[in-house]
Amino acid sequence: MANLQSTILQLLTGMKFTILIFCLTLLFSLPLGLLVAKGRMSGNRIVSGIIRVYISIMRGTPLMLQLLIVYFGPWYIFKIPLRDLTIGDLDYRFVATIIGFTINYAAYFAEIFRGGIQSMPLGQYEAAQVLGFSKSQTFFRIILPQVIKRVLPPVTNEVITLVKDTSLAQVLAVSEMFIAAKSLASAQVSVVPFVVAGVFYYIMNGIIEIGMNKLELKLRYYS
Amino acid sequence: MNVLEMQNIRKSFGDVSVLRDISLTVKKGEVVAIIGPSGSGKSTLLRCATTLEKIDGGTIAICGRALASNVNGKEIFAGKKDLVEIRSMFGLVFQNFHLFPHFSVRRNITESLIHVRKVPKAEANAVADRLLAKMGLSEKADAYPCQLSGGQQQRVSIARALAINPEILFFDEPTSALDPELTGEILKVIRELAEEKMTMVIVTHEMNFAREVADRVIFMADGVIIEEGPAFDLINNPREERTRAFLAGY
Ligand SMILES: Nc1ncnc2c1ncn2[C@@H]1O[C@H](COP(=O)(O)OP(=O)(O)O)[C@@H](O)[C@H]1O
Ligand SMILES: [Mg+2]
Repeated sequence: MANLQSTILQLLTGMKFTILIFCLTLLFSLPLGLLVAKGRMSGNRIVSGIIRVYISIMRGTPLMLQLLIVYFGPWYIFKIPLRDLTIGDLDYRFVATIIGFTINYAAYFAEIFRGGIQSMPLGQYEAAQVLGFSKSQTFFRIILPQVIKRVLPPVTNEVITLVKDTSLAQVLAVSEMFIAAKSLASAQVSVVPFVVAGVFYYIMNGIIEIGMNKLELKLRYYS
Repeated sequence: MNVLEMQNIRKSFGDVSVLRDISLTVKKGEVVAIIGPSGSGKSTLLRCATTLEKIDGGTIAICGRALASNVNGKEIFAGKKDLVEIRSMFGLVFQNFHLFPHFSVRRNITESLIHVRKVPKAEANAVADRLLAKMGLSEKADAYPCQLSGGQQQRVSIARALAINPEILFFDEPTSALDPELTGEILKVIRELAEEKMTMVIVTHEMNFAREVADRVIFMADGVIIEEGPAFDLINNPREERTRAFLAGY
């Protein structure tokens, strides 16, 4: 029993990192995804072409590989010894993790946003234009709020996937929850730490689902 | 003074010539109805006048302000700053309303007043409430567009277009998306605006309404004006064969 308690406590320390990776990734990748979506729809063919390639690489290769490349890339390509770099008490392993997750999830979010933006009827733009709204006012006041409602379900799916994907940070030896569970399991020769970790992930996703449902209900005031 | 002045307008989509040398002037207080078969370019003409399409040739001025002018054979279009001012002089009512579904009825009307015209919020709300009262929709101010009937939505969109106190109001088939029993309430509103001497250009298929409310009727086909004249004369005694054939269908 005491064993289980200490397992939970040790996993909670790992969970701190899991939640941190999760929150920082969302914080950066949602706005970046919007920017990428705009670039993908840009009339400038070079911009939209580059972004199209970026998105297809992010979606077409394993996230784990992308994390490794972000981590080792600076050293192999530029001989910059980032691996030993620390920023405050964050070491580059953690920074690389956040960068890797952010650029990967931004690509997925961008495609979702693009679909949402393109599903908006032309009439909304025309009505706004005739009323004198500028392009950016039209986007932020008229289009984006409606797009958010439309993309909420697919965004929720990605957010739930992100919770589980945080476990991939283990390839850079970031001490998130999964790595903690693994070392506990081998020390205790038991699957209990894995089960406890699984319950944590499950609870986290349960909370996310409840939150997103609430948001969806809140946006149901119009159709 | 002419509120709207369109001279020798040409507009093509690809190889398709949609407006072929059309001229239209509208005087202050005048109500002009545009009729004609579908595909004849009526909507395109309104869209050119309301900055939604760029013309290929010709000149457009609203209240003397040039939207498009022709200097030595070269088309010159109004810049960004002029556009904002020109757009404050007209309103456009769409066939499908195009209300903003995520805003309340009141906010549909106030949003551009507050954020484009920089009218203080309290004043904008007062404008909205006055217009909603006029449209008989006072009790719907806090409702959302999806909670209204088509006729009510169209009345909100008319109120939205009126909010900036425009010099001229354009309507593109304002009753065509409505169930027949709802067209009456929209026509009534437009009739009242005509009585208040609002300058209006109305694309419509309601011949009785056009005859009764419009001062002048324009019959368009294939991108040209076939015939125009006083509303009663044109609809009751069309001179042109094309017009007669078209009106026979009503
Ligand atoms: N954006 C567009 N692209 C290509 N063709 C268009 C476009 N808008 C209108 N047209 C064409 O222009 C012609 C006139 O259309 P429109 O002005 O809508 O006619 P009306 O309103 O009289 O029915 C039609 O043949 C239509 O197909
Ligand atoms: Mg039309």
